[in-house]
Amino acid sequence: MKTIFLTGGKLALICAVAAVALGFVNSVTAPKIEEINKQNLEKALKVVVPEGQPGDEVAVGQGAVASYYPVTREGIISGYILRLTGTGYGGNMNILAGYDLEGRVTAAVLMENEETPGLGKEAENQKYMEKYRGKGGKEPVPVSKKDLPAEAAESISGATVTFSGIGRALSEGSTYVKTKGGSR
Amino acid sequence: MNKEFIKGFFKENPIFVLLLGLCPTLAVSTRVINALGMGAGVIFVLLGSNIFVSLLKNFIPDKVRIPAYIVIIASFVTIVDLVMQAYAPSLSESLGVFVKLIVVNCIILGRAEAFANKNTLGSSVLDALGMGIGFTLGLLLISFIREVLGNGTITVFAFGNFDGVLRIPILYQAPVRIFSLSAGALLVMGFLLGFFKWYGSRKKGEQA
Repeated sequence: MKTIFLTGGKLALICAVAAVALGFVNSVTAPKIEEINKQNLEKALKVVVPEGQPGDEVAVGQGAVASYYPVTREGIISGYILRLTGTGYGGNMNILAGYDLEGRVTAAVLMENEETPGLGKEAENQKYMEKYRGKGGKEPVPVSKKDLPAEAAESISGATVTFSGIGRALSEGSTYVKTKGGSR
Repeated sequence: MNKEFIKGFFKENPIFVLLLGLCPTLAVSTRVINALGMGAGVIFVLLGSNIFVSLLKNFIPDKVRIPAYIVIIASFVTIVDLVMQAYAPSLSESLGVFVKLIVVNCIILGRAEAFANKNTLGSSVLDALGMGIGFTLGLLLISFIREVLGNGTITVFAFGNFDGVLRIPILYQAPVRIFSLSAGALLVMGFLLGFFKWYGSRKKGEQA
Protein backbone atom coordinates (compact mmCIF):
# COMPACT_ATOMS: atom_id res chain seq x y z
CA MET A 1 0.00 0.00 0.00
CA LYS A 2 2.67 2.43 1.04
CA THR A 3 4.73 1.80 -2.08
CA ILE A 4 1.72 2.47 -4.32
CA PHE A 5 1.18 5.89 -2.75
CA LEU A 6 4.86 6.64 -2.80
CA THR A 7 5.25 5.63 -6.47
CA GLY A 8 2.06 7.40 -7.55
CA GLY A 9 2.93 10.45 -5.51
CA LYS A 10 6.38 10.76 -7.06
CA LEU A 11 4.92 10.45 -10.55
CA ALA A 12 2.28 13.04 -9.71
CA LEU A 13 4.98 15.37 -8.40
CA ILE A 14 6.95 15.08 -11.64
CA CYS A 15 3.77 15.79 -13.63
CA ALA A 16 2.94 18.79 -11.48
CA VAL A 17 6.39 20.32 -11.89
CA ALA A 18 6.20 19.73 -15.65
CA ALA A 19 2.75 21.33 -15.83
CA VAL A 20 3.93 24.45 -14.00
CA ALA A 21 6.94 24.78 -16.29
CA LEU A 22 4.78 24.40 -19.40
CA GLY A 23 2.24 26.88 -18.12
CA PHE A 24 5.00 29.40 -17.73
CA VAL A 25 6.37 28.83 -21.26
CA ASN A 26 2.87 29.01 -22.70
CA SER A 27 2.18 32.33 -21.02
CA VAL A 28 5.29 33.74 -22.71
CA THR A 29 4.70 32.31 -26.19
CA ALA A 30 0.90 32.39 -26.54
CA PRO A 31 0.54 36.14 -27.26
CA LYS A 32 3.43 35.93 -29.73
CA ILE A 33 1.86 33.00 -31.60
CA GLU A 34 -1.50 34.74 -31.75
CA GLU A 35 0.14 37.83 -33.16
CA ILE A 36 1.85 35.80 -35.91
CA ASN A 37 -1.43 34.12 -36.86
CA LYS A 38 -3.15 37.49 -36.98
CA GLN A 39 -0.38 38.95 -39.16
CA ASN A 40 -0.60 36.01 -41.57
CA LEU A 41 -4.35 36.44 -41.83
CA GLU A 42 -4.06 40.17 -42.42
CA LYS A 43 -1.41 39.66 -45.09
CA ALA A 44 -3.59 37.08 -46.81
CA LEU A 45 -6.66 39.32 -46.59
CA LYS A 46 -4.67 42.09 -48.30
CA VAL A 47 -3.75 39.76 -51.17
CA VAL A 48 -7.30 38.56 -51.56
CA VAL A 49 -8.95 42.00 -51.50
CA PRO A 50 -6.84 44.54 -53.32
CA GLU A 51 -9.68 47.05 -53.12
CA GLY A 52 -12.64 47.35 -50.80
CA GLN A 53 -12.90 46.82 -47.10
CA PRO A 54 -13.48 43.42 -45.52
CA GLY A 55 -16.17 43.46 -42.83
CA ASP A 56 -16.51 41.28 -39.77
CA GLU A 57 -16.08 37.55 -40.01
CA VAL A 58 -19.34 35.53 -40.09
CA ALA A 59 -19.14 31.84 -39.18
CA VAL A 60 -20.80 29.40 -41.58
CA GLY A 61 -19.55 25.84 -41.07
CA GLN A 62 -21.30 24.36 -44.10
CA GLY A 63 -19.29 21.86 -46.13
CA ALA A 64 -15.99 23.39 -47.16
CA VAL A 65 -17.06 26.93 -46.21
CA ALA A 66 -15.91 27.71 -42.68
CA SER A 67 -16.75 31.41 -42.57
CA TYR A 68 -16.97 34.53 -44.72
CA TYR A 69 -16.24 38.25 -44.64
CA PRO A 70 -18.48 40.51 -46.72
CA VAL A 71 -16.39 42.98 -48.73
CA THR A 72 -17.83 46.47 -49.12
CA ARG A 73 -16.75 49.29 -51.38
CA GLU A 74 -18.30 52.69 -50.74
CA GLY A 75 -20.99 51.08 -48.60
CA ILE A 76 -22.11 48.52 -51.19
CA ILE A 77 -21.24 44.81 -51.06
CA SER A 78 -18.75 44.15 -53.83
CA GLY A 79 -17.78 40.57 -53.05
CA TYR A 80 -16.92 38.07 -50.37
CA ILE A 81 -13.86 36.54 -48.80
CA LEU A 82 -14.37 32.92 -47.82
CA ARG A 83 -12.37 30.82 -45.43
CA LEU A 84 -12.42 27.35 -46.94
CA THR A 85 -11.23 23.95 -45.75
CA GLY A 86 -10.00 21.60 -48.45
CA THR A 87 -8.59 18.11 -48.25
CA GLY A 88 -5.07 17.78 -49.61
CA TYR A 89 -2.42 15.08 -49.72
CA GLY A 90 -1.36 15.73 -46.12
CA GLY A 91 -4.73 16.36 -44.48
CA ASN A 92 -6.74 19.55 -44.22
CA MET A 93 -5.73 22.76 -45.96
CA ASN A 94 -7.01 26.18 -45.03
CA ILE A 95 -7.69 28.44 -47.97
CA LEU A 96 -8.63 32.09 -48.03
CA ALA A 97 -10.39 33.08 -51.24
CA GLY A 98 -11.96 36.24 -52.61
CA TYR A 99 -15.02 36.10 -54.87
CA ASP A 100 -16.94 38.70 -56.81
CA LEU A 101 -20.73 38.71 -56.67
CA GLU A 102 -21.02 36.33 -59.65
CA GLY A 103 -18.99 33.72 -57.76
CA ARG A 104 -15.78 34.20 -59.77
CA VAL A 105 -12.54 33.61 -57.87
CA THR A 106 -10.68 36.92 -57.72
CA ALA A 107 -7.76 35.66 -55.62
CA ALA A 108 -6.85 32.82 -53.30
CA VAL A 109 -4.18 32.08 -50.72
CA LEU A 110 -3.25 28.70 -49.30
CA MET A 111 -2.81 29.13 -45.55
CA GLU A 112 -2.03 26.33 -43.04
CA ASN A 113 -1.35 23.01 -44.76
CA GLU A 114 0.70 19.84 -44.47
CA GLU A 115 1.44 19.33 -48.17
CA THR A 116 4.69 17.86 -49.47
CA PRO A 117 7.48 20.46 -49.77
CA GLY A 118 8.51 20.92 -53.39
CA LEU A 119 5.26 19.47 -54.70
CA GLY A 120 1.95 20.31 -53.02
CA LYS A 121 3.54 23.16 -51.06
CA GLU A 122 4.16 25.00 -54.33
CA ALA A 123 0.50 26.00 -54.05
CA GLU A 124 1.58 28.56 -51.44
CA ASN A 125 3.03 30.66 -54.26
CA GLN A 126 0.70 33.26 -55.66
CA LYS A 127 1.52 32.17 -59.22
CA TYR A 128 -0.03 28.79 -58.56
CA MET A 129 -3.40 30.34 -57.81
CA GLU A 130 -3.51 31.96 -61.28
CA LYS A 131 -4.98 28.69 -62.53
CA TYR A 132 -8.16 29.34 -60.55
CA ARG A 133 -8.44 33.08 -61.03
CA GLY A 134 -11.58 34.24 -62.83
CA LYS A 135 -13.10 30.77 -62.73
CA GLY A 136 -16.32 29.86 -60.97
CA GLY A 137 -18.69 32.20 -62.84
CA LYS A 138 -19.61 30.83 -66.27
CA GLU A 139 -16.55 28.59 -66.46
CA PRO A 140 -16.28 25.98 -63.72
CA VAL A 141 -13.33 25.98 -61.28
CA PRO A 142 -10.75 23.43 -62.50
CA VAL A 143 -10.65 20.39 -60.21
CA SER A 144 -8.54 17.92 -62.15
CA LYS A 145 -5.54 17.91 -64.43
CA LYS A 146 -7.62 17.46 -67.58
CA ASP A 147 -9.42 20.78 -66.91
CA LEU A 148 -6.14 22.62 -67.49
CA PRO A 149 -4.20 23.63 -70.60
CA ALA A 150 -1.16 21.41 -71.26
CA GLU A 151 1.46 23.77 -69.84
CA ALA A 152 -0.41 24.42 -66.59
CA ALA A 153 -1.16 20.72 -66.25
CA GLU A 154 2.56 20.00 -66.43
CA SER A 155 3.23 22.32 -63.50
CA ILE A 156 0.96 20.38 -61.12
CA SER A 157 2.42 16.99 -62.05
CA GLY A 158 3.03 14.94 -58.94
CA ALA A 159 0.72 17.06 -56.83
CA THR A 160 -2.68 16.61 -58.41
CA VAL A 161 -4.31 15.75 -55.08
CA THR A 162 -3.43 19.20 -53.74
CA PHE A 163 -4.70 20.82 -56.93
CA SER A 164 -8.03 18.97 -56.85
CA GLY A 165 -8.45 19.62 -53.15
CA ILE A 166 -8.06 23.37 -53.58
CA GLY A 167 -10.20 23.32 -56.72
CA ARG A 168 -13.04 21.48 -55.06
CA ALA A 169 -13.02 23.82 -52.04
CA LEU A 170 -12.96 26.91 -54.32
CA SER A 171 -15.77 25.49 -56.42
CA GLU A 172 -17.91 24.85 -53.36
CA GLY A 173 -17.15 28.39 -52.20
CA SER A 174 -18.26 29.73 -55.56
CA THR A 175 -21.60 27.91 -55.27
CA TYR A 176 -22.03 29.33 -51.79
CA VAL A 177 -21.33 32.88 -52.96
CA LYS A 178 -23.92 32.49 -55.72
CA THR A 179 -26.57 31.53 -53.17
CA LYS A 180 -25.66 34.57 -51.04
CA GLY A 181 -26.31 36.81 -54.02
CA GLY A 182 -25.09 40.08 -52.57
CA SER A 183 -26.73 39.85 -49.14
CA ARG A 184 -24.77 40.39 -45.95
CA MET B 1 35.03 11.24 -21.00
CA ASN B 2 35.43 12.34 -24.60
CA LYS B 3 34.48 8.87 -25.72
CA GLU B 4 30.85 9.49 -24.66
CA PHE B 5 30.77 12.61 -26.79
CA ILE B 6 32.45 11.34 -29.95
CA LYS B 7 30.73 7.96 -30.20
CA GLY B 8 27.46 9.46 -31.44
CA PHE B 9 29.13 11.01 -34.48
CA PHE B 10 30.14 7.86 -36.25
CA LYS B 11 30.72 4.67 -34.24
CA GLU B 12 27.26 4.71 -32.65
CA ASN B 13 25.56 7.19 -34.98
CA PRO B 14 21.88 7.08 -34.01
CA ILE B 15 20.61 7.04 -37.58
CA PHE B 16 23.11 4.91 -39.46
CA VAL B 17 24.32 2.51 -36.78
CA LEU B 18 21.73 2.38 -33.98
CA LEU B 19 18.88 2.86 -36.50
CA LEU B 20 16.94 5.05 -34.06
CA GLY B 21 14.54 7.82 -34.99
CA LEU B 22 14.15 6.79 -38.62
CA CYS B 23 10.53 7.88 -38.94
CA PRO B 24 11.14 11.63 -38.52
CA THR B 25 14.40 11.27 -40.44
CA LEU B 26 12.65 9.99 -43.53
CA ALA B 27 9.79 12.45 -43.21
CA VAL B 28 11.48 15.82 -42.69
CA SER B 29 14.64 15.36 -44.75
CA THR B 30 13.27 17.16 -47.81
CA ARG B 31 15.09 20.43 -47.13
CA VAL B 32 18.41 21.22 -45.47
CA ILE B 33 16.83 23.80 -43.18
CA ASN B 34 14.39 21.20 -41.89
CA ALA B 35 17.35 19.04 -40.91
CA LEU B 36 18.93 21.95 -39.02
CA GLY B 37 15.67 22.81 -37.25
CA MET B 38 14.83 19.24 -36.40
CA GLY B 39 18.40 18.62 -35.26
CA ALA B 40 18.34 21.65 -32.98
CA GLY B 41 15.01 20.53 -31.52
CA VAL B 42 16.25 17.01 -30.90
CA ILE B 43 19.51 18.22 -29.33
CA PHE B 44 17.58 20.46 -26.94
CA VAL B 45 15.08 17.79 -25.95
CA LEU B 46 17.76 15.13 -25.63
CA LEU B 47 19.90 17.38 -23.47
CA GLY B 48 16.96 18.31 -21.23
CA SER B 49 15.69 14.78 -20.82
CA ASN B 50 19.15 13.29 -20.26
CA ILE B 51 19.94 15.90 -17.60
CA PHE B 52 16.69 15.36 -15.72
CA VAL B 53 16.66 11.59 -16.04
CA SER B 54 20.23 11.43 -14.80
CA LEU B 55 19.51 13.79 -11.88
CA LEU B 56 16.32 12.01 -10.89
CA LYS B 57 17.54 8.46 -11.44
CA ASN B 58 17.44 7.69 -7.70
CA PHE B 59 14.17 9.55 -7.14
CA ILE B 60 12.11 7.93 -9.89
CA PRO B 61 10.76 4.53 -8.76
CA ASP B 62 11.81 1.76 -11.11
CA LYS B 63 8.22 0.60 -11.72
CA VAL B 64 7.05 3.88 -13.22
CA ARG B 65 10.29 5.02 -14.84
CA ILE B 66 8.97 4.92 -18.42
CA PRO B 67 5.89 7.11 -17.69
CA ALA B 68 8.14 9.49 -15.76
CA TYR B 69 10.60 9.70 -18.68
CA ILE B 70 7.74 10.30 -21.11
CA VAL B 71 6.42 13.18 -18.98
CA ILE B 72 9.88 14.77 -18.87
CA ILE B 73 10.43 14.30 -22.61
CA ALA B 74 6.95 15.52 -23.53
CA SER B 75 7.45 18.68 -21.49
CA PHE B 76 10.65 19.55 -23.32
CA VAL B 77 9.07 18.79 -26.69
CA THR B 78 6.13 21.06 -25.90
CA ILE B 79 8.55 23.83 -24.96
CA VAL B 80 10.41 23.40 -28.27
CA ASP B 81 7.12 23.36 -30.18
CA LEU B 82 5.78 26.52 -28.55
CA VAL B 83 9.06 28.42 -28.87
CA MET B 84 9.39 27.41 -32.52
CA GLN B 85 5.84 28.52 -33.29
CA ALA B 86 6.45 31.84 -31.63
CA TYR B 87 9.94 32.67 -32.93
CA ALA B 88 10.43 30.57 -36.10
CA PRO B 89 6.93 30.20 -37.58
CA SER B 90 8.04 29.22 -41.09
CA LEU B 91 10.30 26.46 -39.75
CA SER B 92 7.56 25.24 -37.45
CA GLU B 93 5.20 25.12 -40.42
CA SER B 94 7.51 23.07 -42.59
CA LEU B 95 8.38 20.61 -39.82
CA GLY B 96 4.67 20.31 -39.08
CA VAL B 97 3.62 17.50 -36.82
CA PHE B 98 7.15 16.08 -36.57
CA VAL B 99 8.16 18.55 -33.88
CA LYS B 100 5.44 17.11 -31.66
CA LEU B 101 6.48 13.63 -32.65
CA ILE B 102 9.95 14.16 -31.13
CA VAL B 103 8.15 12.81 -28.03
CA VAL B 104 8.05 9.34 -29.53
CA ASN B 105 11.43 9.64 -31.22
CA CYS B 106 13.13 6.53 -29.92
CA ILE B 107 16.54 8.24 -29.76
CA ILE B 108 15.42 10.24 -26.77
CA LEU B 109 13.69 7.53 -24.77
CA GLY B 110 16.41 5.13 -25.89
CA ARG B 111 19.19 7.31 -24.47
CA ALA B 112 17.22 7.94 -21.24
CA GLU B 113 16.69 4.22 -20.72
CA ALA B 114 20.01 2.92 -22.00
CA PHE B 115 22.37 5.63 -20.78
CA ALA B 116 21.17 8.51 -18.63
CA ASN B 117 19.54 6.43 -15.89
CA LYS B 118 22.79 4.54 -15.29
CA ASN B 119 25.38 7.27 -15.68
CA THR B 120 26.48 10.50 -14.05
CA LEU B 121 25.20 13.91 -15.01
CA GLY B 122 28.41 14.84 -16.80
CA SER B 123 28.57 11.84 -19.08
CA SER B 124 24.81 12.05 -19.73
CA VAL B 125 25.24 15.60 -20.97
CA LEU B 126 28.10 14.54 -23.24
CA ASP B 127 26.08 11.57 -24.46
CA ALA B 128 23.10 13.82 -25.27
CA LEU B 129 25.25 16.33 -27.15
CA GLY B 130 27.12 13.63 -29.07
CA MET B 131 23.98 11.70 -30.00
CA GLY B 132 22.11 14.89 -30.87
CA ILE B 133 24.91 16.14 -33.11
CA GLY B 134 25.24 12.69 -34.66
CA PHE B 135 21.53 12.69 -35.44
CA THR B 136 21.77 16.18 -36.92
CA LEU B 137 24.74 15.22 -39.09
CA GLY B 138 22.94 12.14 -40.39
CA LEU B 139 19.82 14.17 -41.10
CA LEU B 140 21.89 16.86 -42.84
CA LEU B 141 23.54 14.30 -45.09
CA ILE B 142 20.23 12.73 -46.16
CA SER B 143 18.40 16.01 -46.65
CA PHE B 144 21.33 17.51 -48.57
CA ILE B 145 21.28 14.63 -51.05
CA ARG B 146 17.50 14.68 -51.30
CA GLU B 147 17.13 18.43 -51.70
CA VAL B 148 19.93 18.80 -54.24
CA LEU B 149 18.74 15.92 -56.41
CA GLY B 150 15.00 16.22 -55.79
CA ASN B 151 14.52 19.97 -55.94
CA GLY B 152 17.79 21.41 -57.25
CA THR B 153 18.07 23.77 -54.29
CA ILE B 154 19.80 24.07 -50.94
CA THR B 155 17.62 25.91 -48.43
CA VAL B 156 19.40 27.49 -45.48
CA PHE B 157 18.72 30.57 -43.39
CA ALA B 158 17.54 33.72 -45.12
CA PHE B 159 19.50 36.88 -44.35
CA GLY B 160 19.73 40.30 -45.99
CA ASN B 161 18.87 40.16 -49.67
CA PHE B 162 19.50 36.43 -49.78
CA ASP B 163 16.23 34.49 -49.53
CA GLY B 164 17.98 31.44 -48.11
CA VAL B 165 17.59 29.27 -51.19
CA LEU B 166 20.63 28.32 -53.27
CA ARG B 167 19.52 27.24 -56.72
CA ILE B 168 21.68 24.80 -58.59
CA PRO B 169 21.60 25.35 -62.35
CA ILE B 170 20.34 22.51 -64.55
CA LEU B 171 19.13 20.49 -61.53
CA TYR B 172 16.81 23.33 -60.55
CA GLN B 173 15.18 23.31 -63.99
CA ALA B 174 14.98 19.53 -64.18
CA PRO B 175 15.11 17.98 -60.72
CA VAL B 176 14.83 14.25 -60.07
CA ARG B 177 11.49 14.58 -58.31
CA ILE B 178 11.46 11.10 -56.85
CA PHE B 179 14.07 12.13 -54.28
CA SER B 180 11.60 14.60 -52.73
CA LEU B 181 9.03 11.85 -52.33
CA SER B 182 8.89 9.12 -49.71
CA ALA B 183 10.33 6.54 -52.09
CA GLY B 184 13.41 8.72 -52.57
CA ALA B 185 13.87 8.98 -48.81
CA LEU B 186 13.95 5.21 -48.47
CA LEU B 187 16.26 4.92 -51.45
CA VAL B 188 18.81 7.43 -50.11
CA MET B 189 18.57 5.92 -46.63
CA GLY B 190 19.18 2.44 -48.02
CA PHE B 191 22.26 3.42 -49.99
CA LEU B 192 23.72 5.37 -47.07
CA LEU B 193 23.10 2.48 -44.68
CA GLY B 194 24.78 0.12 -47.13
CA PHE B 195 27.75 2.46 -47.35
CA PHE B 196 28.10 2.78 -43.59
CA LYS B 197 27.84 -0.99 -43.11
CA TRP B 198 30.46 -1.59 -45.79
CA TYR B 199 32.77 1.05 -44.32
CA GLY B 200 32.31 -0.34 -40.81
CA SER B 201 33.03 -3.92 -41.81
CA ARG B 202 36.09 -2.89 -43.83
CA LYS B 203 37.51 -1.10 -40.81
CA LYS B 204 36.92 -4.12 -38.62
CA GLY B 205 38.63 -6.31 -41.21
CA GLU B 206 41.73 -4.12 -41.10
CA GLN B 207 42.02 -4.42 -37.35
CA ALA B 208 41.75 -8.22 -37.37
